[in-house]
Amino acid sequence: MKKHPYQNPTGVPAYTGLLLISPFIIGAVIFTVYPFVCSFILGMTESSISRELRFTGLKNYAEMFRSDSFRNALSVTVKYALILVPLKLIVSLLTAMLLNAEIKGMRFFRTAFYLPSILGSNLAVVIMWQYLFKSKGLVNQLLGLCGAAPVSWYGDSRYALFIIVLLRLWEFGSTMLIFFTALRDIPSEYYEAARVDGCGAVRSFFSITLPQLKNVIFINLVLQTIAALQEFNAPYMITGGNPMKSTYTIGMLIYDEMFAYSDIGSANAVSWVLFAFITLTVVILFRITGRLREEKI
Amino acid sequence: MKKYISLIAACCTMTLFSCGSNKQSSVTPPDGGLDKCTLRFSWWGGDDRHEATLAAIDRWNELHPDITIKPEYGGWDGWTEKVSTQINGGTEPDIMQINYDWLITLSPDGKGFYDLNELDKFLDLSGFDNDTLSFGMIDGKLNAVTVSICGRGLFYNSEIFRRLGQDYPSTWDELIALGKPFGEKGYYPLDLDIQSGSTAWYLAVVYVQQQTGKEFITMDGKLGFTVDDIISALEFYKTLEENHVTRTIRTRTDEDGNAALYQSAEFINGNIAGVLEWGSAVGKYESVLPDGVLEAGPLLGDGNGNTSGWLIKPSLMYAVSRNTSHPDEAAAFLDFLLNDASCAEILGTTRGIPASRFAEEAFEKSGSLTGLAQESDSLFEQIDTVTISPYMELSRMKEFYNTAIEKISYDSADIPTAAQELYDSAEKYLEKIRK
Amino acid sequence: MKKLPAYILLIMTAAVMLYPLLWLIGASFKSNSEIYSTAWFVPEHFDFSVYKKAWQTGTGHSLGKYFFNTFMVILPKTLFAVLSSVLVAYGFARFDFPMKKFFFALLMGSMFMPAVVTVMPLYLMWSKLGMLDTYIPLTLPSLFACEGMFVFILIQFFKGVPKEFDEAARIDGCGTLRTLFYVLLPCIRPAVVTISVFTFLWTMNDFLTPLIMINSTEKYTLALALRTSVDSTGQGYEERKIIAMSVLGLIPSVTVFAAAQKKFVSSMTAGGLSG
Repeated sequence: MKKHPYQNPTGVPAYTGLLLISPFIIGAVIFTVYPFVCSFILGMTESSISRELRFTGLKNYAEMFRSDSFRNALSVTVKYALILVPLKLIVSLLTAMLLNAEIKGMRFFRTAFYLPSILGSNLAVVIMWQYLFKSKGLVNQLLGLCGAAPVSWYGDSRYALFIIVLLRLWEFGSTMLIFFTALRDIPSEYYEAARVDGCGAVRSFFSITLPQLKNVIFINLVLQTIAALQEFNAPYMITGGNPMKSTYTIGMLIYDEMFAYSDIGSANAVSWVLFAFITLTVVILFRITGRLREEKI
Repeated sequence: MKKYISLIAACCTMTLFSCGSNKQSSVTPPDGGLDKCTLRFSWWGGDDRHEATLAAIDRWNELHPDITIKPEYGGWDGWTEKVSTQINGGTEPDIMQINYDWLITLSPDGKGFYDLNELDKFLDLSGFDNDTLSFGMIDGKLNAVTVSICGRGLFYNSEIFRRLGQDYPSTWDELIALGKPFGEKGYYPLDLDIQSGSTAWYLAVVYVQQQTGKEFITMDGKLGFTVDDIISALEFYKTLEENHVTRTIRTRTDEDGNAALYQSAEFINGNIAGVLEWGSAVGKYESVLPDGVLEAGPLLGDGNGNTSGWLIKPSLMYAVSRNTSHPDEAAAFLDFLLNDASCAEILGTTRGIPASRFAEEAFEKSGSLTGLAQESDSLFEQIDTVTISPYMELSRMKEFYNTAIEKISYDSADIPTAAQELYDSAEKYLEKIRK
Repeated sequence: MKKLPAYILLIMTAAVMLYPLLWLIGASFKSNSEIYSTAWFVPEHFDFSVYKKAWQTGTGHSLGKYFFNTFMVILPKTLFAVLSSVLVAYGFARFDFPMKKFFFALLMGSMFMPAVVTVMPLYLMWSKLGMLDTYIPLTLPSLFACEGMFVFILIQFFKGVPKEFDEAARIDGCGTLRTLFYVLLPCIRPAVVTISVFTFLWTMNDFLTPLIMINSTEKYTLALALRTSVDSTGQGYEERKIIAMSVLGLIPSVTVFAAAQKKFVSSMTAGGLSG
């Protein structure tokens, strides 16, 4: 039972908010709605290499759902996101806390920890990964020292996805930076008060840090889920989707349909399915975290 | 298709803004009927090609000050994406260096590029034989001219062969027999892959083409192989694996990851002796081994004088935009690139050994036809070759080959099943794109 | 002494993080075969002339030209992105207005579509507007808060600032924009710095969009220039020169990141306003 439909600060008219977001409204029409509409139409055409311009309705979608490569790519992508996102959030948060400590030389360490994200898809990264995970690589040598049998990282469809997850974990800079930024905002008095009350580090982590960070945990959860479901670059560089398509993500499928196979219709159809899937996932994330965040948009 | 996309774009955008036309009013016809204009010319390549082509453009601009050539060039990465976007948007450069399989993806009906037959007033094609010209012909329209031709042959690390006291194989049986002496030392005589080059499948195709005299895919995009032929090809590949001629796909992936062979420590350190590669691309392998170590090997035959079936293709082609407002001028510049003696000298072998007789003659005079690419070229001149169908080079087709090879290598499918799958999917896809 | 374990942990992890950069610098002195065949970073020889070659690039323009082009894109883009994202996020976080839920859904939705499929329609649009081969397609969209992610991040940070701040400012007579710039913005400064850093770093590495929108090689950005010499379908190329170019190309990113660190402190904690 709201008294006023718009609860703005006193004396602020309803259009102020609209005015503030007006750049976004204009931009959304041009840079979001327009390409989306085009893409939606293209998704219903057979635009691959045919002589006539043909509207084929839902044929691209029907073909896609029948094709093994689509189903496989979808399951690879979901598996990848399920493994990567929680790990990445945990690693980033712990590192951000470590980097938040006030010790000498910290600026150097922060830069060093962000560096993998700056390198991105540099050749150095691809070659490092090879030397770590190839059959006679460093990781297998270390396993050998521990008496374990070497693992076929690149060549075995059970393990290949794992090295891509590791690459993205290693490039955790942006997630870490967002956590770090929020950690800086937690007043140190909170921790001092907790210490006076006899709280240990673990308890103050759970009773102060986590509740204070709930907003950014949510940001990172949403952003990383979107990024993982759209993953293209890491498998493209590191494994090329091999072996046996075990690292072939939806993102790679879309790229191949679009540019390698010039099948623009399919590329757009697959994109819309991915879009729907991400939308569903994010809506669920908003719903289940809604109560924890205690606020709505 | 392109019209369709533009149409959608027009619906969705404000069409009020008309397309900025490049057309410049002709002041005087300075060059024997040619207009004063600016033409865009695009290519991809490495430093050598960039440098030589820019110099050739300077030379042209000296000779024809009224027709300015504006270069647009870059590396290979993303170039296909760029050009296909341009062509879909109708904003492609006037003259383009294109890849052989783009003829199918970008001009399936022969209307994707300007019909060069119409430009014979300024473009002299008499330096090309009919076979060479036919590579660029679609539906009777000359879509592109071949710049150079090369074959996909075998190259070996001579050092390893010397160390093991072995000669290069000249028959298939000799190749298979090499697996034993190499395997004892932990080496492999040959590398075959399922990457973008699909060398595993290509070698198997050569083997079956030689045996049967058929073509895997015909020039007009039909399957020449039966399921049985595909079975023979896959069986041949499996034989190579089993005889330690080449690594299994799993071993290869474990050792090299996603790297190309020339970036593989196994190849550089001399554990892998041979590679199947286009003559135009062999320099990459040459440069990671000590000077002169990589040599061109014989093209394998059946031992009874049959050495046919080896594949050649146009390594690069030039095409003119169908949207160009200056076709005559573009043709004149193309003529210069292909036939002019001074241009040939400047360009050298940066785009392979020129297919145009005029350019080749000028080039031979300067006497710089040496190197591995040239050696490979002369090997191909001695045998009956098969010109690869552009359909065989399509990425989607390669995906089918690679899947089949990977499946039989990992034993996740038996050979007849994999062959049937390959046959069905190739047949279905070819039918789809031919229509 | 209590900090010793933390140091050990930091140093070990930093080594893992830094090694590829070390290797990259070492690789700029190596031959192709050395680059691909060893993971050890120390080269056999040092020959600094490769950096001279890297500066000349061999693509017809010097690396300085490409640096300049990159900054011509990055500087306006960062400025536009920050300004528009802040305004829009402020609107979403602090005000109610009609169809707010719809617009927020649109904002989130803009992030869900893979960029490869929106490139083509946008390309056609810029082509119709005659703006291909200029930096406008690369910079102008940022003026319209088209990076949904930045707005989303900022909204969440705005929400972390107590509403009492706004009200206090209003009582002091601040209008809507003054409240934003004098009260709220200082509180979320770390987040603003973060998104500027993101824009900067990501634009440095941006490849596909500039490649498609820019035709003239003399207008290429650094990321494009790095691949201009590489023809993986053709003959060999000198990898070390390209690596040296990429080492030089990393300098701005690393510098910006290191410099931004001083700004990661907000006025909420530093200014004693908290409570």
